[in-house]
Amino acid sequence: MITKIRLAAGVAGFAEDKDYARTLRQEKILPALERGDSVTLDFTQVKYATQSFVHALIGEALKKHGESVLDRIEFKNCTPQLQSVIELVVDYSLGGFPEHSVSAQKAG
Amino acid sequence: MNRTCYDNAEMPKLVVPNSVTIQNARAFLASNRPFVGRGKTATLKLHPKWAHLDPMALSMIAAWGAWCRRNGFTVKVQNLGRHARYAARMKLFDHLGVNYDAQIAAREEAGRFLPVTQVTNRSELTGVIGDISALLHMDSDPDGLAAVQYCVSELIRNVLEHSGSVDGAFVCAHRYTKKKPHRVTIAVADCGQGVAEHLGRAHPEALADDVIALGLAMRPGVTGAIPGLYGTTDNAGAGLFITRSIAKGTGGYFLLYSGGAGYRLRRTNSPDKQIVLYLDALDEPRRDVWRFPQTWQGTVVVVEIRTDRIADFQGFFQWIRKQMPTRLQVTRRINFT
Repeated sequence: MITKIRLAAGVAGFAEDKDYARTLRQEKILPALERGDSVTLDFTQVKYATQSFVHALIGEALKKHGESVLDRIEFKNCTPQLQSVIELVVDYSLGGFPEHSVSAQKAG
Repeated sequence: MNRTCYDNAEMPKLVVPNSVTIQNARAFLASNRPFVGRGKTATLKLHPKWAHLDPMALSMIAAWGAWCRRNGFTVKVQNLGRHARYAARMKLFDHLGVNYDAQIAAREEAGRFLPVTQVTNRSELTGVIGDISALLHMDSDPDGLAAVQYCVSELIRNVLEHSGSVDGAFVCAHRYTKKKPHRVTIAVADCGQGVAEHLGRAHPEALADDVIALGLAMRPGVTGAIPGLYGTTDNAGAGLFITRSIAKGTGGYFLLYSGGAGYRLRRTNSPDKQIVLYLDALDEPRRDVWRFPQTWQGTVVVVEIRTDRIADFQGFFQWIRKQMPTRLQVTRRINFT
């Protein structure tokens, strides 16, 4: 079974509302994936999105289900700009950010 | 000359020299103690003849004014004259509760700016994002507009979600098109808890040193919620890192000021100096790190986007990905259709 989600346009094609993304994640994306369904995210109306928006949308699903969940999520009608943001979020959600160390010496 | 002086503050006082911009920010930040004082009046002292204020100064003064009024001070402005016309057009005095002579302010000019705007909730943020295109006249530059909307959204959301600022965020932006470099300067200021206190819950080292706190805030993956490699379900801790990257990628300024520390990434005209993105902002060769004896109670962020250098917005994220190695390699293909 496939759950199809058509994302709203945001502000003239700019999606930045994390609350909306969180609602989609909690009410549609995660439950569908829990059932074993696939999810289609249709970005037809969206041209740009913030990393925060995409993170709020798919970050938890990636962390919870791991890399294999990519086989069950279809990103449809993404602009090149959107694709690059999604790739960034997928990278760090699955791969993790580089470790950091605090250096008082650097702080000067 | 960019000098200020102040008396022993018996009241909160902000002294503005003839010019306050991101270029000469240090003197302004170093010479004021705006949150110190008693009494019923707070004073904004302008230069008697000249007032060249950029979005950083305007947003900071507005945030400070809101703090003063919330704490029971009436804001008075000294040396308010025709030279403050630009600040009036940017709606600064509206936020201070100060009347500015309408006759002086009336002269209509074609502006490309977002006047100082207070944002206290997500609905107001959506309004600001929607207005930017028309206010900055960026309809014909969709990628430049996206970069500006991106930074405005991320910076204001940071305030709304993390600062605890009762007055929300004060945002201001100006698009400069007459002289090169063509650019948009965006500033967001608040008088909330500040970076160190926010991060300190999850990263105690931030409480020990404001410079360390700023460095942490600009690193990808560091959030005030839960320390971890992946952020939380709602916050990755990458917002300031990406806005800094957008500034760096176009060769623009970036400034972060909170508590007793300031960080500035300087502008560059050399593409060679834009290529390498340092995950740790304190490693950047073109950085300035300042310590001040007095503190800003809250946070100020300024991003300068060189709109003449945004070829395609998509390229920024590809560049950031290349510059940001992950701990594990992702091998599966993302299903774009």
